[in-house]
Amino acid sequence: MTQAQAEDTQIDWEAALVQRACSGDTRAFERLYREHAGRVYGLCLRMTRDVHLAEDCTQETFINAWRALPRFQTRSSLSTWLHRIAVNVSLAKRRKASPVEASLEDEEGPRGALEWTLETPVEVQEIEAAIGALPDGARDALVLHALYGYSHGEAAQMLGVAEGTCKAQLHRARKLLRERLNVEVS
Amino acid sequence: MSGTRGGDERKVSSLRELSPAIEPARDLWPQIEARINEERRTAPGAMAAQPRPGRARAVPLRWLAAAAVVASVAVGVWIGRSLLPVARPGAGVESPTADAPTALDVTYVSDPRYQRDRTALMQSLQARLAALPPPARAKVMASLAAIQRAKQDLENELGKDPGNALLQELLVNTYQDEMRVLTDVHYAGDAGRGI
Repeated sequence: MTQAQAEDTQIDWEAALVQRACSGDTRAFERLYREHAGRVYGLCLRMTRDVHLAEDCTQETFINAWRALPRFQTRSSLSTWLHRIAVNVSLAKRRKASPVEASLEDEEGPRGALEWTLETPVEVQEIEAAIGALPDGARDALVLHALYGYSHGEAAQMLGVAEGTCKAQLHRARKLLRERLNVEVS
Repeated sequence: MSGTRGGDERKVSSLRELSPAIEPARDLWPQIEARINEERRTAPGAMAAQPRPGRARAVPLRWLAAAAVVASVAVGVWIGRSLLPVARPGAGVESPTADAPTALDVTYVSDPRYQRDRTALMQSLQARLAALPPPARAKVMASLAAIQRAKQDLENELGKDPGNALLQELLVNTYQDEMRVLTDVHYAGDAGRGI
């Protein structure tokens, strides 16, 4: 049996937990929460830049997920589904907190996917601060694409923008990071 | 985002090296659970599928059949083990059955040691199978396929009836049987013997 098959069995186990949670088993849902909370909170925190707002968004994400769980298709990835909910919740909370949002029109972004490598190594704290200082749209696209590994199309869909806009935001994020960190981002 | 990554002086040379996960400073689950319970009290039909008490204790015959398959596999494995050397070489992978839990606790499979051992055994399985004589290999593969089917059936049934203690016990037994088969294949390969 290959590693992929071994992973399939683990995914099957997650599907069984989802099924049990669908049947009203909160213990099963708590195990799903424990498994995914870190990544969901990380996403909410990076999108909102506020610890309390991120905590609210994380809680809201899991409550919404509990409500919608019977509609979740176990063939798809639970983490992607949770991240989608987290992005929606975070965008809504952020809009509420500051309704004026800088927008970026569709424009031609960079061709191909960036590796997001830094010419010189940078401290995690410093780079997190630089990401946090990016404008909302650029930061959202960067977090989903560079940190969570979603494609341009997936990130754009999650954010409710055109793929071209997402690419343009990434281009902008790269430029701003280069300026703030004073290193080449390629 | 101050305070979220405070004190992390590690250097990275790519954004991909940043961990997407950040643990919240406090446990958010109690409030989530309270909200869920509150909603269940006020709108008990909110979840699409609540536990169905009418069928709670009815264990369909096919689960018992699955259990019988697993039991027969276990007996076959036990017979096979009796043919193997007593002193097992290569202590690199500990037998997870030595102190396997006996309680009705499905969290068994989330035990990091179990997961680690199982992954290691799975990774070496193909090579070990190739070293076995064809009849023994066929027997092991049939056993693993039966166990896999039993696991899936039991998990699906538990999804419909989460509180069923018998199903939980059968599931734990199935995981333990799988580990026994994997462990025996591992050591049989080492000893150059059949099962």
